[in-house]
Amino acid sequence: MANTKTIAVCVVAVILVAAVTISFSSYLSEFDTARTLPAEHKFETIALGSETATVTIVEVGDYQCEMCKLWFEKTRPLIIENYVETGKANLIFIDMPFLGNDSQHAAAATYCADDQDKYWDYHVKLYQLQQHVDDGWANADRLSAIAFSLDLNMDIFDECMESKEHYSRVDFHKQKAKNDFGANSTPTFVIVNTSGDSKRIVGAHPYSTFEEIINSML
Amino acid sequence: MTNTFGIIYSNPSNILIAVGIFFLLLIPLITISEFLFFEPFVVFSLYPETTLSFSLIVVLSFLSSLAVSMNIYRVKLIKETRKISSSIIGTIIGASAGACSCGPIAFSIITTFGTAGSIASSFLTIYEIPIRLTSIIILGIVIFVTTKSLSYECKMSQ
Repeated sequence: MANTKTIAVCVVAVILVAAVTISFSSYLSEFDTARTLPAEHKFETIALGSETATVTIVEVGDYQCEMCKLWFEKTRPLIIENYVETGKANLIFIDMPFLGNDSQHAAAATYCADDQDKYWDYHVKLYQLQQHVDDGWANADRLSAIAFSLDLNMDIFDECMESKEHYSRVDFHKQKAKNDFGANSTPTFVIVNTSGDSKRIVGAHPYSTFEEIINSML
Repeated sequence: MTNTFGIIYSNPSNILIAVGIFFLLLIPLITISEFLFFEPFVVFSLYPETTLSFSLIVVLSFLSSLAVSMNIYRVKLIKETRKISSSIIGTIIGASAGACSCGPIAFSIITTFGTAGSIASSFLTIYEIPIRLTSIIILGIVIFVTTKSLSYECKMSQ
């Protein structure tokens, strides 16, 4: 009996150690993939900042991701202030909706807002209002309410959401984020300059990381 | 109780086991929870909003290292493994909380299990703090019971 228990405990301990080790090593091994930005990127994205900026910061994110919200609140404002508004860098957002059903709807809604030139306003609003995954904060009614609060033409917005015309664009971004950037978590960033140098940042890093990398690429 | 800790940790190998378990848990957990980053260089980042979560991970790792090392000592002493199972269960519960969030583990779970994975990942993220607190309570009880039992068993063996 005691032997059985010992074996059972050993098995559980081995599984625990293996699980932690595998998770950790898989987390680290992902860092080695997709370090470079592929030459052909035909994303239909909307850049925030100057089109002639030396550096482009590509953010791969999900509107329901709490770490993306943390980055949005803590790091993004400093990047906007010091690099985007000064014309040194521009920012692109690539959707990788995977956390819940509402992630995809929220991503599609940003493009419906873009039809009325309010992409970044809608993007900002989504992160400001983010709550828990699929708890209703980004359901169809709330997405319409956000559009209304931004003074969008509701007939055009609702028609766009109902027709699902931008869902294929969101799916395309998701595939590109996975295949081209090797993203398997959000937020993931790829910083690329006009010389073709690129660096990948995985996770909601603090501003200091971005500052160091962007300065080295300017 | 102090005497029991003194007996166990007077042996450097037990201290080594405890320290090893502490870091074996702490480093993966703070990496998965995005407090520690390795790419593009090593960065540690802690925001006021995430201080509680980080503190709970440190407490959890510390209690797990105590509970497991004490029970390893106990297993060596009296060949009884019941409490080590409890300490491992407590550790697993605590380690599973918050590991999902938006990281690669959540991505793997959700892409493999679909909606069910999404619900599980979401549950572990939303209830991260209560789950970690539950785990800490379990480990606290395990340490208390193990200490009591060890002081009794040590008296018997003397």
